[in-house]
Amino acid sequence: MDFFNVYLPIADMDFNVLLLIFIGTTVGICGGFFGIGGAWIVTPALNIFGFPMPYAIGTDLAHMGGKSIVSTIRHSKFGNVDVRLAVSMIIGTTIGMELGATLVMYLERLGLAESVIRKLYVAFLFLIGSYVLKDYISHTLRQKKAATAAAPEPVRETIAQKLQRINIPPMIYFKTSRIRCSLWLPILVGLITGVVASVLGVGGGFIRMPALIYLIGCPTLVAVGTDLFEVMITGAYGAFTYGIKGRVDLLAAMWMLVGAAIGAQIGTVAVKYVRGYSIRLLFAATIFIACTSVLMKQLELTLASSVLILTAGLVISLVIIILLIRGIIKEKAAKQAGSQRIL
Amino acid sequence: MSGIQWVMVLATLATILIAPVTAYAAGGGKPATKIYNVADTRHMESGLSKWIADVYNDSLLVFGLLVVSIMASMGLVMGFGMDRVIAMIGIDLRRLEHHE
Repeated sequence: MDFFNVYLPIADMDFNVLLLIFIGTTVGICGGFFGIGGAWIVTPALNIFGFPMPYAIGTDLAHMGGKSIVSTIRHSKFGNVDVRLAVSMIIGTTIGMELGATLVMYLERLGLAESVIRKLYVAFLFLIGSYVLKDYISHTLRQKKAATAAAPEPVRETIAQKLQRINIPPMIYFKTSRIRCSLWLPILVGLITGVVASVLGVGGGFIRMPALIYLIGCPTLVAVGTDLFEVMITGAYGAFTYGIKGRVDLLAAMWMLVGAAIGAQIGTVAVKYVRGYSIRLLFAATIFIACTSVLMKQLELTLASSVLILTAGLVISLVIIILLIRGIIKEKAAKQAGSQRIL
Repeated sequence: MSGIQWVMVLATLATILIAPVTAYAAGGGKPATKIYNVADTRHMESGLSKWIADVYNDSLLVFGLLVVSIMASMGLVMGFGMDRVIAMIGIDLRRLEHHE
């Protein structure tokens, strides 16, 4: 295994190339499938294997930018990227992140930053996971009822539909998402998610994806693709800012990107064979695991927390690969059956 | 303005600019706390690793730009390349119909 060790001059350590490719592949699969950056998997994974933390964050951001380009290209060819919507949200997110940073500094001056942010992180992850899970359960029960009922049940108006009706000019039609709403809606949602992401010290993909679905009303796959577009932009910015601070091991990022490119394609193509609500269910499970991991870290079970998140990333990637293989087999069988009928 | 007035304006500007520097030199300012990171290239053989480390040591601004350009280029090349590989497997990669 020493044969695969490479000297990383910037982090000043030897590291196994296969491990870098493996970490990259795992996070690439999850990122391409859920539309997230995956920093919460990469940073503890690198750190647990001895990568210095400041370099782990910068190196992750650098590879995230490249990996998101791979996923965004694929998602855009699938028709899942609403560029207009993404740009509107980025405007809000950028302002939100600056406001969030100011809020953190204010909390720091009051001596409340650490305690407030820690509790907020766990509470927020639990809230997002619970809401997405509740939505999946409600949807499943509605479907079962509709299958047995004589008349279809009236569908309740969602939060997103109520927000879309707010008429503040300019009203924009977002073609890919097939929604018409005020331009201020995605800007405001971007602003709120930007503040939260900045306060929690995260990239925000796992906040923006459900926000796109539940507050703006995007279909799940468009939320995934559009969020990846934003992750691409923030990843590029993060790569540059950490690069000029000397906190990116470029060689490590390149090896991780090799794995991430393969993983991102696997994760992105897998969405083709999975319904939107199934993606939401898996997303909820991932968020609950992340919540448990963060809670363990706060209870100073740091090693256990990192092992949990790494194992979870691996298991979720395997589930996604199984969904992909199953989907390919079904598609090929359907094609063969179709061609046989023609003959 | 007369010549003397120009000299007075320039002298005032020079005082404003030089005074803080003089104060720092006299020990009135905070000492510099910036830490420079240096990649150890003494025992490295020439190649990609050494070149990256040399750029890192020479200029962090150029290094930052290098990080973005390499990641973006690799992402684009691998994105389109992997698309070809997936298409060769026989998976239909055309537009998706969205099903919730």
